[in-house]
Amino acid sequence: MSAVLSRTAKLRHPVAGTLAVLGYVVMIVPILFVVATAFTAGSTLRFPPDGLSLRWFGEAVAYSPFLEAVVSSLELAVLATGLALLLGVPVTLAIHRGRLPGKDLLEGLFLSPLVVPELVVGLALYQQLMIGLRLDNFTTLLLGHTALLLPYAVRVTGASLALADPALEEAARGLGASPLRAFVTVTLPMLRPGLISAGLLGFVTSFNNVPLSLLLQTRDFRTLPPAMLDYVQQSYDPMVAAASTLVLAATVVVAVVAERTVGFAKIFGGINR
Amino acid sequence: MTTPAAALVGVTQQFGGFTAVDSIDLKIPRGRLTTLLGPSGCGKTTTLRMLAGYSAPTSGRILIDGEDATRTPPEKRNLGMVFQSYALFPHMTVADNVAYGPKMRGVPGAERRRRAGEALELVGLAHLGDRKPKQLSGGQQQRVALARAVAIRPRLLLLDEPLSNLDARLRVQMRAEIRRIQSETGLTVVLVTHDQDEALEMSDEMVLMRAGKIVQTGAPRDVFPTPADRFVAEFLGYENFLTLADGRQAAVRPEHLRVVPLDTPADGAVALDATVRDVAYRGVDLLVTLDATDPAGTAVRLLADHRTDAAAGPTPSAGDRVRLLAPEARLALLPALSEPELDPVTEGIS
Repeated sequence: MSAVLSRTAKLRHPVAGTLAVLGYVVMIVPILFVVATAFTAGSTLRFPPDGLSLRWFGEAVAYSPFLEAVVSSLELAVLATGLALLLGVPVTLAIHRGRLPGKDLLEGLFLSPLVVPELVVGLALYQQLMIGLRLDNFTTLLLGHTALLLPYAVRVTGASLALADPALEEAARGLGASPLRAFVTVTLPMLRPGLISAGLLGFVTSFNNVPLSLLLQTRDFRTLPPAMLDYVQQSYDPMVAAASTLVLAATVVVAVVAERTVGFAKIFGGINR
Repeated sequence: MTTPAAALVGVTQQFGGFTAVDSIDLKIPRGRLTTLLGPSGCGKTTTLRMLAGYSAPTSGRILIDGEDATRTPPEKRNLGMVFQSYALFPHMTVADNVAYGPKMRGVPGAERRRRAGEALELVGLAHLGDRKPKQLSGGQQQRVALARAVAIRPRLLLLDEPLSNLDARLRVQMRAEIRRIQSETGLTVVLVTHDQDEALEMSDEMVLMRAGKIVQTGAPRDVFPTPADRFVAEFLGYENFLTLADGRQAAVRPEHLRVVPLDTPADGAVALDATVRDVAYRGVDLLVTLDATDPAGTAVRLLADHRTDAAAGPTPSAGDRVRLLAPEARLALLPALSEPELDPVTEGIS
């Protein structure tokens, strides 16, 4: 989407176009440095790299705190995304198809995690759930991440539902489908692009989350970002660059899949609408 | 008498404080095409949706084949509905769309395909079964929607403004097409429209609605020459209203007013002296706007269609003093103007 945006921006406004390109340079160049240093043969995080090797990738993959953290991150991201969709889809249906009063309020409520600072949410969850209710940190993290992803689930699936003609479900009913069958055979297929988008977005958001994961980590369960931060504080060697590069590569794969299956314009269009 | 295919008994529908349909009684005759006709907001679509089961009446009963169906959900009514938007399932092929109804009824695969093929045959689209709805033209989508509704062998075929999204030429073709399908299948059809020409051309029975009430019902041949009141007359294209010498209200269509020279004998027609205000050229005829005084002495503005061929006599132009002749047989007599007819609902009707 961004590439398309900058292209059109450049065509219409030379100044905006130049700024956009500058923005990308500022964002992308440092990343390229990280990637380049990850391939170093030397033992310091330095540019230009001292020779070329995959040594630090090997070390990163073999480093058990990272490995455990990756598994935790994946576990958390998959579960939180699943939960957010499970809760979000019925809410979307109620907002778009139901006759309940105060729909706007409901929608606002489910979008609010987008605006509340995550550190505040994290602290609140820490105080109330971990200390107050003595929940373990995994459960607390799962609840926190689910709340964080709910706006995506509601908004993105809502966008595809808003595009579908409400008469479709009525037509299915008229043709003899029970409400459940009409939902499964007609509504759900209409929702599919939204579900895929919301799922991918949710997964990436949870996987990359720092504030909640940082506040709610313990030695038993921590996700990759806090684990990496922790490592950088202790030692400044190229392994963390290698780990970052691997995360970046995985994210790019997810992004490409998203673009190919649904299209970024559609995914982000759902949030900004 | 046989049981009507469907009947509404004292049916009212309220949304919040708004009464969309106000205690109507209606019988839908079996094997005929009935149109619900009226301006937007008159309650015709609400009535159709209650018949289909998409919204429950606030009070009153709905009978289908003589049985109470007031609370029956749409999937148990076995009615074929064609939506204004067609509502074809975009993720299914045309054939799967048409086979959807039989599939929901548990009809096995082979029989299902046969029935879908048959229904598509009926609308002349058997060759497009593998396409997706998006790949079809508006007219073709409309036919698929018809085929899908017919494929369930419905007790009634309900059409909600089925032609409103088509261009003018196709619309006229589809009128004949729907009539053909109706007579080939013998189905009872209820069609909602705001287009009086469509209703006149297609209906066996017309039901004129206004502000949630039925104002007149009958065959087009009976309704057209004798509109029940000024609202119906206006809706059916009677542009001119005058009060006769005896105080009765009459409506007359522009094509029935003859614009003639002042000294022309009346010959039994109602004659009015008038001044031409404006003349608009429309090809086959001129639309002449006139200021006249009706037999009761009231100033009225009248419209007359004046043919452009020689037989119609001299061509009027603005400022001319002329005589207007309205043959008695062409006057539709109306009951005296009553209160509701002053309602703004009648404004802005095409």
